[in-house]
Amino acid sequence: MKKNNYSAEHKKFLTINRLKTSSIIILQIITLILFFVIWEVGAKTGFIDVFFFSSPSRIWDTLKQLYSTGELFMHAFITLKETLYAFALATGIGIALAIVLWLSEYLRKYLEPFIVTLNSLPKIALGPIIIIWMGVGSKAIITMAILIVVIVTTLNVLTAFLNTDKNLINLLKSLGANRFQIFFKVVLPASIPDLISTLKVNVGLSWIGSIMGEYLACKAGIGYLLIYGGQVFNLDLVMTSVVILCTLAAGMYFAVALLEKFIRKSRGQ
Amino acid sequence: MDKVIEIRNLSLTYHSMQCETLAIDDISFDILKGEFVSIIGPSGCGKTTILSLISGLLKPSSGTVLIDGSTPNPRKPQCGYMFQKDNLLPWRNIEKNIFLGLEIQGKNTKENREKAMKLLNKYGLGEFKKKRPDELSGGMRQRVALIRTLALNPSILLLDEPFSALDYQTRLSVCDDVANIIKQEKKTAILVTHDLQEAISMSDKIFVLSSRPAKLKAVYVLKFDKNLKPFEKRNLPEAETLFNQLWGEIQNEKK
Repeated sequence: MKKNNYSAEHKKFLTINRLKTSSIIILQIITLILFFVIWEVGAKTGFIDVFFFSSPSRIWDTLKQLYSTGELFMHAFITLKETLYAFALATGIGIALAIVLWLSEYLRKYLEPFIVTLNSLPKIALGPIIIIWMGVGSKAIITMAILIVVIVTTLNVLTAFLNTDKNLINLLKSLGANRFQIFFKVVLPASIPDLISTLKVNVGLSWIGSIMGEYLACKAGIGYLLIYGGQVFNLDLVMTSVVILCTLAAGMYFAVALLEKFIRKSRGQ
Repeated sequence: MDKVIEIRNLSLTYHSMQCETLAIDDISFDILKGEFVSIIGPSGCGKTTILSLISGLLKPSSGTVLIDGSTPNPRKPQCGYMFQKDNLLPWRNIEKNIFLGLEIQGKNTKENREKAMKLLNKYGLGEFKKKRPDELSGGMRQRVALIRTLALNPSILLLDEPFSALDYQTRLSVCDDVANIIKQEKKTAILVTHDLQEAISMSDKIFVLSSRPAKLKAVYVLKFDKNLKPFEKRNLPEAETLFNQLWGEIQNEKK
């Protein structure tokens, strides 16, 4: 497939498709800008009450102020650290559990009611117990976040493992493969797309976990800023915290998306 | 000639919580070195089960299977298995797919890889070695699957309806190719099929099974000219006579 050799029809097809992609990106940027402009203009004209809704310029001022006192990075870093720890540990433990459960049908059936119950339990209910056991601080928050992420990860990944094409497994058996070879040569590579979508879901869940944890027990972090801002009716601080969270979460999501792109490329898809 | 496969009073019962089903009932036969045997019978009579027993993936309820005088060990397969689907791993290229068996059996040496590549080149698929399976046609994929099987140099090939997922024209040509490869590589082969013409055109012997529980009902020894291609055998008048006989056998079973 050489470039430049395309027919006029193919060139037209390429142009239309490129236009579609770039117009979507432009629209996304315009939407974001419009959102902030309308918000700001509304605030300036008094159409939107800044006491309840804050405004982009006030958020900007709050950000600058937080930055000058060094609080911005301190709080953001604490929450980010908790989230990343929870994300990595919960994903790792979840996948490891799924492997063990895949290996043994007996264990799977034995543990099923326990896992299903734990999965349906709202993990936030365990908050007081976690605080008593772990104390107030990062350890409690990470534990909370792990609890929220780990069971869902196990269930999703296990389902992906169990849905591997039976024909491929039979082929491996006919070649004399043992269970570990079946796992590493077929089950794991076949589950990569599901593993990536689990990672994407886990990004969101880890943030829920760490912010929930900070609501319950914390001395610092974005969750702390949110709660504090709410209690003193400082909506500027609350909105600023939400903006910081949005930025961090988007960054983490794009990191996973980049990883996905890399894996797809290395598998030649 | 030497017996490669000896089957004596073989029976197999499937167990489930609802019932037990006798699938194979006291079957005995021998297969000689280099023979091409087809197994035909009504649908669901247990043809595939016999292949699983020969490969060692299933253990018989009673009776024995001997391959070169020993019981088959599923960890060290002596038979190459070909399925209805080519089962090429979509995330590996053709070359990596044909090395799969070598990797699993710890025979992934440079020498063995070169042998496998030679087979791929010999049967006209060498130029596709870096392609993904989904870039190949169904017939090519099934030939790659055969080469993946041959890469382990098994003396026996078990063919479980390997052509049934292909369209009719591809089927005829892949059938010729596979028969040719098996003859050239001097393999013993057992083919399970629904297609009577396919069985007639490829085999030295045809075993007819009864409906479940499967018993060995009849053995037909075919005496066509060995140099004819399967496609040419299909057009012989004797083939038509045999087709009618086999058709009759299977129709009787269905009643």
